[in-house]
Amino acid sequence: METFLNISAVYGVYLSISVFVIGMSWRTYQWATTPKSPVRLGMFPKPKTGAGRVLKMLKDTLIAPQSARIEPLMWAFAFAIHVAALGAFIGHGRLLHEFTPLVTWLGEDGMNTFAAWSGGTAGIVMLAAVVFWIARRTFGPFKQLSVPEDYLLLALLFGVIIMGDHMRFVGTIHAATYREWFQSLLVFKPEIPAEILGSSTGWSLGAHMLFTDLFLIYFPFSKLVHAVGAFSANLVRSE
Amino acid sequence: MSEEMKADLELDLKGLLCPMPMVKVSQNIASVAVGGTIRAVATDPGSMADIPAWAKSTGNELISAEKIDGEFVFMVKRLK
Amino acid sequence: METQQMTTLVGVLDQKMNRQLKQYLDICARCAICKDACHQYVATQDFKYLPARRAELIRQIYKKYFTKTGEFVPALYEARDPDENLLDELYESTYACTGCRRCMYYCPFSIDTAWILSVAKAILIAAGKGNEMLGQLADAALFKSDNFEMFKDIIVDGFKDIEQQVKGLTGDPDAEIPVDKQGADILYVALAGAHSILPAAVIFHEAKVSWTLSYFEAANYGYFFGDAVKARKIADRFMDEAKRLGVKEVVITECGHAYRVAEIFHEAWSGEKHPFKVRHILEVIDEYITDGRIKVRPDAIKEPVTYHDPCQIGRNGGIFEQPRNIVRALASDFRDMTPNREQQWCCGGGGGLVAISEMDEFRIKSGTIKAEQIKATGARIIASPCENCRLQMEGLNDSMELGIEVKAIMDLVLEAMPLPGSFAKDASTD
Repeated sequence: METFLNISAVYGVYLSISVFVIGMSWRTYQWATTPKSPVRLGMFPKPKTGAGRVLKMLKDTLIAPQSARIEPLMWAFAFAIHVAALGAFIGHGRLLHEFTPLVTWLGEDGMNTFAAWSGGTAGIVMLAAVVFWIARRTFGPFKQLSVPEDYLLLALLFGVIIMGDHMRFVGTIHAATYREWFQSLLVFKPEIPAEILGSSTGWSLGAHMLFTDLFLIYFPFSKLVHAVGAFSANLVRSE
Repeated sequence: MSEEMKADLELDLKGLLCPMPMVKVSQNIASVAVGGTIRAVATDPGSMADIPAWAKSTGNELISAEKIDGEFVFMVKRLK
Repeated sequence: METQQMTTLVGVLDQKMNRQLKQYLDICARCAICKDACHQYVATQDFKYLPARRAELIRQIYKKYFTKTGEFVPALYEARDPDENLLDELYESTYACTGCRRCMYYCPFSIDTAWILSVAKAILIAAGKGNEMLGQLADAALFKSDNFEMFKDIIVDGFKDIEQQVKGLTGDPDAEIPVDKQGADILYVALAGAHSILPAAVIFHEAKVSWTLSYFEAANYGYFFGDAVKARKIADRFMDEAKRLGVKEVVITECGHAYRVAEIFHEAWSGEKHPFKVRHILEVIDEYITDGRIKVRPDAIKEPVTYHDPCQIGRNGGIFEQPRNIVRALASDFRDMTPNREQQWCCGGGGGLVAISEMDEFRIKSGTIKAEQIKATGARIIASPCENCRLQMEGLNDSMELGIEVKAIMDLVLEAMPLPGSFAKDASTD
């Protein structure tokens, strides 16, 4: 297990984060340095002021009200998975540092219950959305339109979520232990705590991290670059 | 002159608004053989410039374009 | 196919590359939310008309030739060469598109599929597979301006015929259709057809404005064909005329794409700012009515009237209220369609489709939703300021027996204006 964890939860983390950061910067740089279309591609009605344009862009990107109107179910799952992913991302912040004010407010047990509920909800919502997306791509025009990239990303995401859920719902290791591991990565003195190595949940962590590494490495070369591109593309809408 | 010639295809383009008369002639030219002719009658005055311009730019022959009793009569010969 | 031709076609994509295009090609998630935004897909359920699919064909070339991952693992993206098969698919998907941009409206990333398809057209043209009819019509328009001396008298003769009618309608023997008038305030750019000249001439006469008529029509088949150079040259014909005459504004007739070409595309193509305003005739007429420069009888049209927003004027041109103001000013029963304005369904006649006879059956079928919308209003008259829309809706009217009358807004205005000539006409028909 130690070798596996060294690969996925130590070196893989360094590699994937580097690829992700450099890849996304490169992609953004490429976009920024490609000349704009001289033709204005906006559509009407459009806000008259610059601030209005930015607000509309944020609304279109973060809420996508038009998409909600045309296919509400798809929109609901898409919106849910993005919000849940954001929540999960914030939740993972506990690996950096305990959310001390929350602990003071809720108490030690209260914090653990809150984390279990919020993390658990996010994990289930994301799982449901990914399952919905996979199912949607198995029939009709959605299947015809899909390319291997789409399934690969969904498979990686499914792996990340299911293993994360496993750690959340089945595993017995607490955040403090994971924090030890994560903080050791931050100071470049990687060490995997004995509690993780000694538990079968260690395998879950390894798998969770393996899927996450692959997901992050592929991210800048996939359609997921919409995480950045959607903002500027939606700004063009009111140009 | 055009009345004496028998066309291979007669097109009634009366009432069509420009550029539709030109579009119709263009759409129908393939249905006559090379060397064949189309006689088209339109009512929109814009066709007096449109149809000759189409014939010349596509390399077909405009045999005649005349205004007869408020109608515009064209003879076009397919050359290729 | 020759490798050399493929290199050429990839070169066209490279040449057309810009930030927006690159982003559109990089970020599409193939979520297919655009599926039900497209009237053609909804009416036919044919995969090739699904907006994201149309763009995907260009994305396949892009992935293979412009991205490393696509170059090394093409299978991941189904990346491929612009070979005969791809080009045939591309032709079907591209020239069918009306460019209505309804898919862009609903896309969470606002991907402009029509813009991607304008690049597709450039690729098809470079491969010798541009639509022949649209190409011929573009060439005919350019032939007229390149050999202007040959056509000048014929064009002016046509205007003189219409001028007689203007005199009759206005009851003014001095009414005229001015051409080539230096220093006029307005250069009016009509279509080649008399129907777009006569009502405007009467309206300008009654509003007592200084105007002149362009020798050239606004219609731009170069734009539909997808050749930006030809499209620009076709628009240059009247833009140069406007500069030469020193007009204050260019007013485009009731036409959809011509307005967008003049107002939005032309400055970008020519790389210089127009020394004049560009407006749509309906903006001008709305202003004349509001300012009282022309009079319309408030209940001139008693039958229920509905209005169809042409894509290039509404969603893509920003003119929503002026035509409605005009119709409300002269009709007692105006009924909007649902949905309308920026969400309006394309009628199916745009993109030059009305000129492509192979597409007739498909085009009418793609108008099913529009026909249902029209029926639901119970209107007897449908007014719309785009020639392609009107031709399409007349087709829908015939094939689906809607029992409606399709009218240009200017025609309604002409009917509603208290003119000596039109009173005479009314009296004779009563």
